[in-house]
Amino acid sequence: MDAILFEFKEGLLIALRAIKANKIRAALTMLGIFIGVTAVVLMSTAIKGIDNSFQKGISALGSDVLYISKWAWFSNEEWWKMRNRPNITMEDYYEFKELAKLPLAVAPVANSVQTIKYGDRRVENIFLTGSNADYVKTTNFTFEQGRFYSDVESNSSRNVAVIGSEIYKKLFPRGDALDKTIKIGGVNYKVVGVLAKQGSTVLGPFNPDNQVFIPIGTIFKNFVSRHFNSITINVRARSPEMVQETKDEAESVMRKIRGLAYNEPDNFSINQQEALQEQYNSVVGVIQIAGLFITGLSLFVGAIGIMNIMFVSVKERTKEIGLRKAIGAKRRTILAQFLLESTVICLMGGLIGLIAAILLSLMLNQFFPTSIQWSVVLIAILISLLTGIISGLAPAYTAAKMDPVEALRYE
Amino acid sequence: MKISQILAISLQSLKSNRLRTGLTILGVVVGIFSIILIMTILTMLQNSIDEGLSSLSKNTFQIQKNDQVFGHGPRREDRNRKDLTIEEAYRLKEMLPQAKYVGVEQWVFGKVAKFGNKETNPNIQIAGVSTDAMKTNDWNVEFGRDLRENDIDHSTNVCLIFQPIAEKLFPNIDPIGQTIRVDGRPLKVIGVIEKQSALFGSSRDNIIILPITTWQSIFGKYNHSVNITVMTHSDKDYQSVMEAAIGYMRKIRKVAAGEPNDFYIFSNESMISEINKITDPIKIIALAISLIALIAAGVGIMNIMLVSVTERTREIGIRKALGARKTWILSQFLFEAIILCVIGGLIGIVIGVSLGNFAGSLIHAQAAIPWEWVFIGLGLCIAVGVIFGTYPAYKAANLDPIEALRYE
Repeated sequence: MDAILFEFKEGLLIALRAIKANKIRAALTMLGIFIGVTAVVLMSTAIKGIDNSFQKGISALGSDVLYISKWAWFSNEEWWKMRNRPNITMEDYYEFKELAKLPLAVAPVANSVQTIKYGDRRVENIFLTGSNADYVKTTNFTFEQGRFYSDVESNSSRNVAVIGSEIYKKLFPRGDALDKTIKIGGVNYKVVGVLAKQGSTVLGPFNPDNQVFIPIGTIFKNFVSRHFNSITINVRARSPEMVQETKDEAESVMRKIRGLAYNEPDNFSINQQEALQEQYNSVVGVIQIAGLFITGLSLFVGAIGIMNIMFVSVKERTKEIGLRKAIGAKRRTILAQFLLESTVICLMGGLIGLIAAILLSLMLNQFFPTSIQWSVVLIAILISLLTGIISGLAPAYTAAKMDPVEALRYE
Repeated sequence: MKISQILAISLQSLKSNRLRTGLTILGVVVGIFSIILIMTILTMLQNSIDEGLSSLSKNTFQIQKNDQVFGHGPRREDRNRKDLTIEEAYRLKEMLPQAKYVGVEQWVFGKVAKFGNKETNPNIQIAGVSTDAMKTNDWNVEFGRDLRENDIDHSTNVCLIFQPIAEKLFPNIDPIGQTIRVDGRPLKVIGVIEKQSALFGSSRDNIIILPITTWQSIFGKYNHSVNITVMTHSDKDYQSVMEAAIGYMRKIRKVAAGEPNDFYIFSNESMISEINKITDPIKIIALAISLIALIAAGVGIMNIMLVSVTERTREIGIRKALGARKTWILSQFLFEAIILCVIGGLIGIVIGVSLGNFAGSLIHAQAAIPWEWVFIGLGLCIAVGVIFGTYPAYKAANLDPIEALRYE
């Protein structure tokens, strides 16, 4: 055991001395690994960052919320088969609320797209969500100012609005929106609440930061007809574990309300954000794999560089190897010496690359969501170690199996 | 000293160190491969998208009421534009004899066609067209007869249907002469249009074609804007005809000088440039990421060249002592680096293009060789060779012969 430790120490010293003796060469070799590790780590932090911001955004929608609507979100079914389904009406909602026992909260939702104005500032194509006071219970909203509209306000269809944080920023750059009157599609509404930042931009129009919430009665009064438009019923389960149970109950309750016979298919769809997640995964998954593959190639190039330089190094030190072997160095001693050299170079390059990648990703974070994970740091170190060992193996083996006689004679 | 001699020396020293040369080349191969692979796949995807979106035939542009902005209705300032009318189209046709065809067409979507107890899915597009529009759309009649001026003038209740619709409604009988119903209107089938080439993205095989006057009598003359399609004789006069058409349209619609056009010119190019706005940044990012591997390969070349200069210090000293010029030594080492890069680059390009095409064929994209990227890739290789070979070559060229000869 002691002998192996000693050999290890000795090998390390020789390796370090060799690296010192050829500073430029070692530095360039490290640069190769440095580039590879930086690229891979940076790519994975970027991927993780995008992922996180999507997850955060999607959790703003609530992972335990079901959306009962006329249309399926993503479906292979032909649209005309769903076209003739009956609309989901407010009456459906009232009955559903009466009959469903499992949900934590049930809220009706009707949407419209309108222009919002305050003074001479305006934002166009804003997603308007009409619901009742229960809506806030189906979300995890937090408020920057004010509150959600109350039961009284929604039941009596008052013109009150809660605005998302992005809209707040655009319409009220000087702050304080409470009790101000905004115009939604030309109709006056009083602002009673401002949401704190919720989601992220990846959600597009689903992002609550870009929405305005008003009582459902006023959306029917001012923007969409309650008779010709289908609403969505948002149903929140008591806990994520109960989503499936709640979904099953919701399906049977809806079938009962619709009076469907046992052999008729559902004439409504129960959507979950999982569908959104699947869509996201299928697109982003490919990009992730491609990104890691391409940056992985640069690491591979770095590894080739090391192997090349190690071969040179073995050739240059043929005489030295011959000498050491002649006075009794074992094969594994020589092997360990060269392996250690390549591993040290890789590890140093990798560590510097890692630090650079972390600094860069902190800088990039200003414009782009990135996220550093400890697992990535560990994997990067492991990868550079492995790179060193794998690319050092062939040259070290060549050195180890040299015939001392031939090696000493080498000119 | 001739260049060929210098080249010979470079080649010889590359040959004498096969393993080293091979590994260095491998680095460049991988570096170029990463660029070419990504660019091949992106080019294939772009080609498929462009082709899918090229809804117009060659040398054709369309005059529409409104710009087609993705995901939005007309712009606020354009909402009050007047509809384009058939009369305007006919006047333009008179004024524009240099155009090959000036067609006019109108569309409605999501209709059902019925024959007896059979009916299609409600995804039929109904086009009302003039005879010229049959040509600008490149719709060729397979059976039966084409639309005639008579049909337009008298708004006869006739229609042409696409092959898939014919198969669906008339599985066993000849469709010509049968009467189908669209929105309750009986229409006699006079012809079947040959199957269109399958396009990525848009399905264009579920169309029923009516004379435009008949279309207007069913779906209404007002509150529907027509599209005017102009096909030119060749791509040479495409620009000039388009400019003339814009001028005449402004005259017909009485647009005052200095006012912007109150119509929109749509062409395949305008659609493609719209798409490029999205794909260009993706391309730039992909290029930047795939360049990293090539830079790493460049560093490897520089390293190996430095080793090679050190190893051959004595040789350089002797050659200098015998009167070799600085430029000869410089170009010898530079050539070495460039040769490594070009060989690696060529191999990388071949592998990249073939693997890219293989990957693309898995997602059914059309095969493509991105020639511009092949040349850019080669250029990049030479650039990398020059950039990373210069320092070692410079170092070799500036060796003091006395010192070099003494080097142990």
